[in-house]
Amino acid sequence: MSVAELKERHMAATETVNALRERLKQKRLLLLDTDGSISSSFFAFSGFSLKLDLSWELRSMNLAVATYARSQGKTPLTFGPTDLVCCRNLQGHTGKVYSLDWTAEKNRIVSASQDGRLIVWNALTSQKTHAIKLPCAWVMTCAFSPSGLSVACGGLDSVCSIFNLNSPTDKDGNSPVARMLSGHKGYVSSCQYVPDEDTHLITSSGDQTCVLWDITTGLRTSVFGGEFQSGHTADVLSVSINGSNSRMFVSGSGDTTARLWDTRVASRAVRTFHGHEGDVNSVKFFPDGNRFGTGSNDGTCRLFDIRTGHQLQVYQQHHGDNDAPHVTSIAFSISGRLLFAGYSNGDCYVWDTLLAKMVLDLGSLHNSHGGRISCLGLSSDGSALCTGSWDTTLKIWAFGGYRRVI
Amino acid sequence: MPSGRANVGDGGVQYSFAMEYHGPPITRDLPRAVPINVDRIPVAAVVSQGSLSDKLALPVVQPILASDITNKFSKELGLGLGSECLVSPTSVIAYERQIGDDDSVSKELLLGLGTETTVSPNSGPSNHDCRLSGELSCLGTLEMNPDGRYGSGDFSDVINSSTELGASTTSHDLSKELLAGVGSSGTLGFSDSFDKSRDLLGSPSDFGVSNTCKESLDINDLSQPDWASTESALSFDYPSSRVSSLQVGDCISEPACDERGNLVVTFRDIESEDGDLTEGLNGAEPEITGLKKEFEVRAKKGTCYRCFKGNRFTEKEVCIVCDAKYCSNCVLRAMGSMPEGRKCVACIGSPIDESKRGNLGKCSRMLKRLLNDLEVRHIMKAEKFCSMNQLPSEYVCVNGKPLCHEELHLLQSCPNPPKKLKPGNYWYDKVSGLWGKEGEKPSKIISPHLNVGGPIKTDASNGNTQVFINGREITKVELRMLQLAGVQCAGNPHFWVNEDGSYQEEGQKNTKGYIWGKAGTKLVCAVLSLPVPSKSTYSCGEQVNNMVSRSLPDYLEQATLQKLLLIGLSGSGTSTMFKQAKILYKDVPFTEDERENIKLLIQGNVYGYLGILLEGRERFEDESLNERMNYNCSRSQTAKLFYTMQQFVSEFTFWFKAGHADENDEKTIYSICPRLKAFSDWLLKIMVSGTLEAVFPAATREYAPLVEELWDNAAIQATYDRRKELEMLPNIASYFLERAVDILRPDYIPSNVDILYAEGITSSNGLACVDFTFPQPASDDVDSADQHDSLLRFQLIRVQARGFGENCKWLEMFEDVRIVIFCVSLSDYDQFAVDGDGTLENKMILSRKFFESIVTHPTYDQLDFLLVLNKFDLFEEKIEQVPLTQCEWFDDFHPLMSRHRSSNSNSNSINNSPSLSQLAFHYVAVKFKRLFSSLTARKLYVSLVKGLEPDSVDEALKYAREILKWDEESANFSLSEYSMYSTEASSFSH
Repeated sequence: MSVAELKERHMAATETVNALRERLKQKRLLLLDTDGSISSSFFAFSGFSLKLDLSWELRSMNLAVATYARSQGKTPLTFGPTDLVCCRNLQGHTGKVYSLDWTAEKNRIVSASQDGRLIVWNALTSQKTHAIKLPCAWVMTCAFSPSGLSVACGGLDSVCSIFNLNSPTDKDGNSPVARMLSGHKGYVSSCQYVPDEDTHLITSSGDQTCVLWDITTGLRTSVFGGEFQSGHTADVLSVSINGSNSRMFVSGSGDTTARLWDTRVASRAVRTFHGHEGDVNSVKFFPDGNRFGTGSNDGTCRLFDIRTGHQLQVYQQHHGDNDAPHVTSIAFSISGRLLFAGYSNGDCYVWDTLLAKMVLDLGSLHNSHGGRISCLGLSSDGSALCTGSWDTTLKIWAFGGYRRVI
Repeated sequence: MPSGRANVGDGGVQYSFAMEYHGPPITRDLPRAVPINVDRIPVAAVVSQGSLSDKLALPVVQPILASDITNKFSKELGLGLGSECLVSPTSVIAYERQIGDDDSVSKELLLGLGTETTVSPNSGPSNHDCRLSGELSCLGTLEMNPDGRYGSGDFSDVINSSTELGASTTSHDLSKELLAGVGSSGTLGFSDSFDKSRDLLGSPSDFGVSNTCKESLDINDLSQPDWASTESALSFDYPSSRVSSLQVGDCISEPACDERGNLVVTFRDIESEDGDLTEGLNGAEPEITGLKKEFEVRAKKGTCYRCFKGNRFTEKEVCIVCDAKYCSNCVLRAMGSMPEGRKCVACIGSPIDESKRGNLGKCSRMLKRLLNDLEVRHIMKAEKFCSMNQLPSEYVCVNGKPLCHEELHLLQSCPNPPKKLKPGNYWYDKVSGLWGKEGEKPSKIISPHLNVGGPIKTDASNGNTQVFINGREITKVELRMLQLAGVQCAGNPHFWVNEDGSYQEEGQKNTKGYIWGKAGTKLVCAVLSLPVPSKSTYSCGEQVNNMVSRSLPDYLEQATLQKLLLIGLSGSGTSTMFKQAKILYKDVPFTEDERENIKLLIQGNVYGYLGILLEGRERFEDESLNERMNYNCSRSQTAKLFYTMQQFVSEFTFWFKAGHADENDEKTIYSICPRLKAFSDWLLKIMVSGTLEAVFPAATREYAPLVEELWDNAAIQATYDRRKELEMLPNIASYFLERAVDILRPDYIPSNVDILYAEGITSSNGLACVDFTFPQPASDDVDSADQHDSLLRFQLIRVQARGFGENCKWLEMFEDVRIVIFCVSLSDYDQFAVDGDGTLENKMILSRKFFESIVTHPTYDQLDFLLVLNKFDLFEEKIEQVPLTQCEWFDDFHPLMSRHRSSNSNSNSINNSPSLSQLAFHYVAVKFKRLFSSLTARKLYVSLVKGLEPDSVDEALKYAREILKWDEESANFSLSEYSMYSTEASSFSH
């Protein structure tokens, strides 16, 4: 078979695939529009214990939860400008902060910045305990191990590096890399330790795959997506592991989808979630583990149900002009009632997940960040929110005064 | 704050002033205060603006602050009003005025003070109009203690009474300004000592003015030890007070007064402008003596600046900028995360108090108690090494010339540095290494030959002996030492002393002796307190000046590093350029480890190429067997003849060889013996399974001999000769395959050229960067500017094109690059690749798309672009065979018809009849330039490169440097006299 012939066939095949893809998309939209039988959605917010049965009532997926909640007479949360206050300002990075993570024991934070450093902070004293100079300055993500003994980071060098916090530093005060997890063919966009396991880690990468690593051996346990064409078709930008069932994790990608994976079944995604019209920059599991939230370049956050595969809610602030700021990062409060979303214009909205109402904009408070919010995270007990920004600082927000943690 | 200053002045005067007000009791028409404020609004408006925009000159301030005016006022009023007192009222007045604009004086005041004193997090934000309270609430929020919520109503009472005071006093025919000043000073006095002011809260609003004033003063007396701290508290809420006092400093000749104002202002302000303030007031003199005294006074009073509790015995941490002291409860709140060491949050980013330089990195016990070891270590490290806390290089003058950063670093990092370098003027004898303060005898012998400062002056050490050492007139003490050392000093000689102490008379060759050679001399030197060279001085020699190899500290490195981003589609030669840069500019381009890895990689590649060859061989064998079926063997004789000519295999000879094979029955020229066949099958199997990388490093040793045999085999050679038909085999493979035997030896060490040719070395992990400096030009006329240039450090960052999409997440990470070097392979014009949508596209068009997306990316909005048209060597060959018009973008390239067209872009070309490839290059360059200017309306720089030739890459990178340099200078001098660079640039771009 000549090369020209091969090329021709390839073209034809590609065309077919694209056509099929288009039809699939149409079909899916159609289904979403008409599907009135959402099997079940047990929408329980811990602390509010609100039950939602959406099956009979809701036709339109959009505004689903909110409509129902309103019909049930739920009142929106109200937030004053002083209910969330910035109580710590972590200064010390000299470059844009790209990522942060809290420890499980709630008072330490690791942050990664373009100055090529990982800094481990004591959130209570706002002091640095470790500053790790990275071999590659272009770091995109970092994570604390569940035990708090080591941190992982990854970036444009396509390697996920593990640093032991207890290891002695060399004469320049640099920590040696404890383990290099190399194997990705693109940048490492996100990493997260498997809950309660210091030896396993899931990374997502620009090579369209997610990988489960065994840190002790430094080898890939499984690769999700990639060559088999069953996974993402663009850079994977974010992962989140289900807190209640650590075998399940969800990934968000530049192909505008989020996918749910089972670590035991690497060959294909359990489910693919469509809906976004831009790159899915951030995914985060809902505290109950049955839903997850996404944040996207299209300026919306969405809530998906992993069992039905449907979109439950869109969180969108309508902007006058067309270019809505991208959602860069999201996090849920411990009950799930609040969704914190960082935006590329420096806003940080607090959404009432139930009523899809924006209750507070941290970006409008007087001591808010001066740059894009690039990452945010809640402490393990939910008492504090940490935001990292391109203005090189991190800020810790906590409920001021009388308001209790939700 | 006014009360505070009142106390500084003699209190009696104030009392008398207060007595003036004593008479009229306050009546109920207190709200009248507002109209009075309104009266002053025109003036006030200016003040408030000034206060908000940091440094505007405030016309209001001057009259009030001027000490002569003070005197005048005091005369008129018959009040011995202290000048210090006046300073503060101004600010208060200004404050009131500013707020008075809103017609809600009392409210605003209330809020402002309320926040300040209660430090409750809630009150701040609600007060949206008032910038001050906003700031205060920062403090409040930092604290976040719910118990800090005092009833703000109480304070409103206080303030109300204060405004009432103002009103009543006005009604009593006193000068408005003074009145308001006093009135408000009184009120502020209340609010300052808020714990005490509670007592006053109960006091009815119809206080007599004098009473209140007295009251306030009393309070101040009571809180005598606190006065400064209250002031500091007050300064939070009124920034313009500082501004105004700054003005005093500028425009008033009376030093005591402005020093005073300055003092108070400086150490209490939490705003960040204090740097300007101190600079403005102290000028070039870095020592702030006046301030220090005041600080000591403060220390005696010794309360915490934040909570105003404690006494001078309680342990406190001091801000290294503003000298604010905080107790252990407050220090973490006040200093935050200490990114630059122990500085209050507002002092971050300000240079430290030079008198505290000695304390840098020395931790107090209190911090150690509060924080754990790791935290303390990081704070101290930050304090010592952050760039802000370094000795400002311009404070150190050597031989009359302020140093630059690099010079200072050089001085401090030399083997024998001057100890405890303080700001000041020094002289330095570069030949002998003698070092001393200007106008004094030498104090130390440091490393010689450091390139710092200017040339030494004759009168550097202010000697008058008419004896010269290295052009410096020495002091009497030195002369004495020389005489004692036995140096003949008669006749006012001029000595030339080297670093080892050898000396000769100027103009003479022979060394006359060693000054410090004798043991006795050292004793003499010790007696005369003159320096002797330390032992290490001798050895330091030349390495010191080697600026390139020494490592810079972090803070300098960041400042001087210029980043060049190298991007291009895969196959455009970015990797080669990168490797070339490494080989060109690094002393050790590849470390042992790297070479070992590269070796494995190259060997793996070679096996890969071999595999492709073997695959081809099988194909050819099959084909030739088929051929054999079709052709008879009548030509076998002829074939034999041609057998020796295998090297010139062509479709033609193919048949002949087939015939020859036929003779050997079942064998073709492409057949190999079973043993090799087994190896071949095995290799192909491994390749198919995709585990080549995993198997081969280990198997190399074992199979190397086999490969040698294989390579020598005629069948492989025959296949190799037909390599053009093997599409999988890259061009570069022949380079390696011809050396395959050598390369696959276990002891093979890849040469630089091997590495240059090798594939996949830098592309394996997407991103690679190399720091380098351009080697100093060998030419002798290196003027100082060029020398400085050689200090510039560059970082070449090479990123993989993969993943560059519309919303590429990480292009933003490279926003600090200075120039983008975009690589396009010229030889791509007839190649095709699959683009993102899965359709085949011409690679040149793909490059253009990529170029467009990068150029229009907002991150690179104002950046220079250097287009590197790479692989010109391949292009030259190809253009003769394949017309450039193969690519649709270039379909209007008609070189023979339109030679004049190309001539407009290559005016500098010497060659009158440029080759086709030259013409084509210029044509492509113009295409890109037009595209670029249509997208950005800027100029695109273009460079022609043959990636495999070092000189060519060197030239391109130096061109990039020129662009950067020209950019900088065109920013500095926008005049056309520097246009030489621009012409140079265009000569590069043809």
